[in-house]
Amino acid sequence: MLYQYSWTVLFAPLLAFAVIIFVTRVWDMLSRPRVQEVPAHGDTHADIHGSIDPHHDSHNERARGADAINRVPTDGDKSLDDPTNSNSLPIGRDPIHGVLHGGHLDDDDDPKVPFLSAGAKASAYVALVLMAFACIYSWILLINSVVSPDPMLVKTGYTVFQYTWLNLGNINYQIAFHIDHLAIAMMVVVTTVTLLVQFYSQGYMQNSAGYARFYSYLSLFAFSMLVIVFAQNFLVIFTGWELVGLSSYLLIGFWINKKAKPEEQRPSPASASLQAFVVNRIGDVGFIIGIMILFVSTGTFEFSKLQIAVLGMNKTALTVAMICIFCGAIGKSAQFPLHVWLPSAMEGPTPVSALIHAATMVAAGVYMVARTFPLFYAADPAAFQVVGWIGAFTAFFAATIALVQSDFKRVLAFSTISQLGYMFVGLAVAGSEYGAGPGMFHLFTHAFFKALLFLGAGSVLFALHHAMHREVQDMRLMGGLATRMPITAATWLIATLAISGFPGFSGFFSKETIIGLAYDHQQWGLYALTLVTAGLTAFYMLRAFILAFGGKGGYLGGLWGGPYRGEGEVHESPPTMTIPLILLAIPSVLAGYWTGFFTYLNPDAKPLDIAQLLILPDTWIGVAVSLVGLIVAYAIYARVELTKIEAFVQSRPALRTVHRILYNRYYIDAFYDWLVKYVVLNGICWLAQAFDTYVIDGIVNGVASLITGFGSGVRRVETGQVQSYMIGFFGGVAVLAVLALVLINVVK
Amino acid sequence: MGLTLNHFLILGAVLFCIGLYGAISKRNAIAVLMGIEIMLNAVNVTMIGFSFFNTVKVHRPDGFGNYAQYLTGQIFAIFIITVAAAEAAVALAMIIAIYRKRNTVDVGEIDMMKW
Repeated sequence: MLYQYSWTVLFAPLLAFAVIIFVTRVWDMLSRPRVQEVPAHGDTHADIHGSIDPHHDSHNERARGADAINRVPTDGDKSLDDPTNSNSLPIGRDPIHGVLHGGHLDDDDDPKVPFLSAGAKASAYVALVLMAFACIYSWILLINSVVSPDPMLVKTGYTVFQYTWLNLGNINYQIAFHIDHLAIAMMVVVTTVTLLVQFYSQGYMQNSAGYARFYSYLSLFAFSMLVIVFAQNFLVIFTGWELVGLSSYLLIGFWINKKAKPEEQRPSPASASLQAFVVNRIGDVGFIIGIMILFVSTGTFEFSKLQIAVLGMNKTALTVAMICIFCGAIGKSAQFPLHVWLPSAMEGPTPVSALIHAATMVAAGVYMVARTFPLFYAADPAAFQVVGWIGAFTAFFAATIALVQSDFKRVLAFSTISQLGYMFVGLAVAGSEYGAGPGMFHLFTHAFFKALLFLGAGSVLFALHHAMHREVQDMRLMGGLATRMPITAATWLIATLAISGFPGFSGFFSKETIIGLAYDHQQWGLYALTLVTAGLTAFYMLRAFILAFGGKGGYLGGLWGGPYRGEGEVHESPPTMTIPLILLAIPSVLAGYWTGFFTYLNPDAKPLDIAQLLILPDTWIGVAVSLVGLIVAYAIYARVELTKIEAFVQSRPALRTVHRILYNRYYIDAFYDWLVKYVVLNGICWLAQAFDTYVIDGIVNGVASLITGFGSGVRRVETGQVQSYMIGFFGGVAVLAVLALVLINVVK
Repeated sequence: MGLTLNHFLILGAVLFCIGLYGAISKRNAIAVLMGIEIMLNAVNVTMIGFSFFNTVKVHRPDGFGNYAQYLTGQIFAIFIITVAAAEAAVALAMIIAIYRKRNTVDVGEIDMMKW
């Protein structure tokens, strides 16, 4: 009964999306003030703004301009009563630089949003209430299925919703949703992280335009991901896959008016969202080809039927199909070589980054491989070798890039890419005795601490935005924030230790399991890469922590607090943002102690034996490597001033070269730029365009001019003289008569 | 040797050809009209010829048999005469109208329906 109604978890965010789009957002828009008489300043401003801002309708723009003039300072708007902001006083002098917006607001910040309308707030509450329902329901499902396992649920799972989409002869296309333990575990992650992110966004997005729209997109994103989680067959998972692509596009490009920042190597959100969408499509080509190969060979899309059907399939075809399907995961989970979209996706609002990285998007690739684990297992070992090597290489590769990045969010982006690589290694080396357990376990723990890292980063960026009146993401302008934002710093430190695999934190259990499995299965290459990456991870995460929150001169030997390199006064973020941080810190520590995770997913698997894990030597090798990373990072960044480190690196040619290569992300983005510009646009597209112009258009125009030419010749026949027509007519009749006579005689 | 169907048909064909020649070769519109009238009458001759020779045996109740003619062709001929009269009236009216407008009845010069 409990399980049969679990489809409500899936439809709750969809309902939230629909209610926000059709009811509360309309209410929000209608309740905004409309101004008929626009003063001169406001008019100029509206025109300037309207011309660069095609996104908003014009009456909204006019209202906004006028509103900015007539505004009064309020508690919600810190900019106007901020004494350090000298720009805000002569209102209306410099409309281009957003002075009318009160100084530090960006293109997409809405001056009216401090007075969030009732409709906008209602949108947030609708999304929150429905997501809270989904979250509580999925936790009940999880607890219930752990406490009293349902044999049916363990064995086959329940199909909770079924609809025949299309019935073509023998082939039955079904929209079917299905739950089992794997789906429930994932559902908990998705709904929990989404709920906390939505709660957090109340604070983070309070100044942004399109507050209601943001909540509708978040709900759509959660729904899309839940479609993947609930999918019973490849058709549904592909639908969810594309929906996730769409909603990530909408959310990454949410601040549509923000400009690119070439000096920080940051694209504009609009182009970042397009890049994410297009790069994902490249992977999806492989995904859909793989699905088609499987479908042609077995005649079914359903995972449960495929598990049996693939056993009779040609092994080579199956292996090719599974590698093609993995291509989809490469795109969605940002593995090398399709990882470039994920760092660009940092241009979206930070809660969106948290959602993408922790629960809803990149996890989809891992979840899909976990869901199709029996199919990968049935294929040739080469399939899992591909998965493992791509994962391990990506883990190492992304970790080296993260070592030197100075952008706060970009470090996290590369750490996500790296950790996803771990998950794929975990899936690849697990073998039948663990199943999808280790990879999913790392996904499960990673979701909490990575969401925490991102929300903490968002909290820092929010505080710096209020302190410096502009968007600052560069860690060189941070430092010593721990004493100023203690809650954010403490929770961030917990997440840092968790992702570094510090013993006792959740990341330790999941990551050491994966590294240990690579060791057990004598996958030495994968073992070496994952082991080194563990050290690198510890290094760059503690580096980021110290650069942002610590520095030489702080407490605890420079770990906590220290000199602040930016401007203005930094304050802790509001409770709407700190509460999710605290709530996420709890599972970041404790999630690893769920030792029954492997047996929960697969009753035949060995459970995680913590005692065993603690006495194995290879665990301690891994821990030692991580500790070395932590100590080196501490020794460098907490004991030496940042300027000295930079001067040291710049003075050594070898170090400088390595730093430049890593800082430019191995020039892969530049290479792709070159590839797109010169090979795709000037090469393939030019050829295609030439073919189109000269061959396709040539045929069409040729046929047309042939016909017009023929017609202009033939029209001379129409002399207008009746007698010539008459000759034609009777001549024709005569010819036909003669023909008929001849034919009749021939037939006779 | 009496009249047979072939006599009528040959007469019709000859008349038709004469009419057609006149209609095609004459420059004067009235002569063309006359050629068309001859063609119509050629058709009439053929119709009546067919009608006369196309008979069917009728069985009467008193036992005497007789050959009856199909009258369709003759009715058609009357129709054609009627239509030809109307057509001649209309065509002459048109010729007069054209003459008033263009001052000619030479069909070679009447080419308003040209491309």
